[in-house]
Amino acid sequence: MLVKDREADMSKFKVCVVGGYCSNRIMIVAEQLTEFFEKKGIDCQVITHGVAYQGSFAPRSNLILQLLPAFTEEEAGCPVINIKPLIGDPAHPATIEKILKQVQAYYAL
Amino acid sequence: MSSSRIYLDYCATTPVHASVRNEILRALDVDFGNPSSMHWAGKDSKHLIDQARADVASGIGCRPAEVIFTSGATEADNLALFGTLRRFPSTKAHLITSSIEHHAILHAAHRLEQDGYSVTYLPVDKHGLVNPEDVRRAIRPETKLISIMYVNNEVGSVQPIAEIGRIARDHDIRFHTDAVQAIGLFDVNVDDLNVDLLSLSAHKIYGPKGIGALYARSDVNLVPMIFGGPQENSRRAGTENVPGIVGLGAAMNLVQQHRAEERVRLLELRKYLMDGLQALDPAVLVNGSTENVAPHVLSISFMSVDAEMLLIRLNAEGIAVSLGSACNSESIEPSHVLTAMKLPQEQIESTLRISLGLPSTRQEIDLALDVIKRALPRAVIQ
Repeated sequence: MLVKDREADMSKFKVCVVGGYCSNRIMIVAEQLTEFFEKKGIDCQVITHGVAYQGSFAPRSNLILQLLPAFTEEEAGCPVINIKPLIGDPAHPATIEKILKQVQAYYAL
Repeated sequence: MSSSRIYLDYCATTPVHASVRNEILRALDVDFGNPSSMHWAGKDSKHLIDQARADVASGIGCRPAEVIFTSGATEADNLALFGTLRRFPSTKAHLITSSIEHHAILHAAHRLEQDGYSVTYLPVDKHGLVNPEDVRRAIRPETKLISIMYVNNEVGSVQPIAEIGRIARDHDIRFHTDAVQAIGLFDVNVDDLNVDLLSLSAHKIYGPKGIGALYARSDVNLVPMIFGGPQENSRRAGTENVPGIVGLGAAMNLVQQHRAEERVRLLELRKYLMDGLQALDPAVLVNGSTENVAPHVLSISFMSVDAEMLLIRLNAEGIAVSLGSACNSESIEPSHVLTAMKLPQEQIESTLRISLGLPSTRQEIDLALDVIKRALPRAVIQ
């Protein structure tokens, strides 16, 4: 499910797609990831955050997937993965593997 | 946001200079008449237009009657291309242009292709320069127009306009140049450059937005794009934008006064900036020519750095620069200029354009360098 930042339910696993000026690009990647999680049967919320317009504070989430180097893990307070390779290849194996690993680690806890 | 704001994006637009603003305000407040009216109010406005036309003509070395006021350089570029080519059947007219032109030329050329005209897009070398011999080789019996920009707005490469103009003249082909980025700093004389058509814009030279001009040599016949009244010798209908025209004339006078000294000053400032950036990061790459380059443009690639993130961090600290890419409906497109120069994708995505202007100072560059120094490590691609 793709929801707005302010509507996010923190009781659910929350994934935030972070990007820059191009909100279209952020939305496209977020929608692709939402579909991917649904297909995998992973129950989570996907939210979006544009650092160019929404400020430089990291959004509250369990996992940050960023299209540009906006936040460190220390700033975000959660794992951060660079997902820029997904722009050219929505199924980029190494990036998808990193994301799945993080999600599985959360649910294993 | 930092309390100090530093503008380093003068290729995008320039602030209206105080002297220009004063002239515009006078035109707005006092000389409000319709220039086509027969009475005193109209005559006063008509006089302002005549004076501005003379000022623009003086700035590029042509006759006042050869200046057509337009809504900006985009319209001037469109009028040059459509106005020249549409005099001929589409199957009998060919346009030569370059792959690094402004979209006002490229998108107009694409439209002409859709209408059946043929267009050749010349390549550029790694410095962003057109080879005049490529122009000569591209000429066909049906070539009616060559359009090559004077100074590229992204990398500052200065094209050999006079030489290309000579080739065009030898073949009896009309030659147009988009001189938007050149007019503020270069001595532009239409005869020395061998051009028949030349576009310019006020807002790139400390004038207002919404006004520009096309120089059309007196023997050039143009098919109008806008129909209506007899304004601009029936080549561009519509009640004149008097305050804008006055602003363009004043801006032209301003840059004519400062061109020579600014050319030298900005070239030194550009070198100061370039040296400062190279001291911060020895791996930076300067894009474009080192010799044939405009003094106010610096295209620079910070390798392993995400330029968009860097721009966002600089903007948060009050530094305004520009990115070598543009957002469209589906993605961020790499710059067509840097792509034409065959720069690797990674380098394009690491590129910022920094451009200087009349208000730019060493103190501003020092402050900007300080911010860039802090922002660079926080924009490194992980």
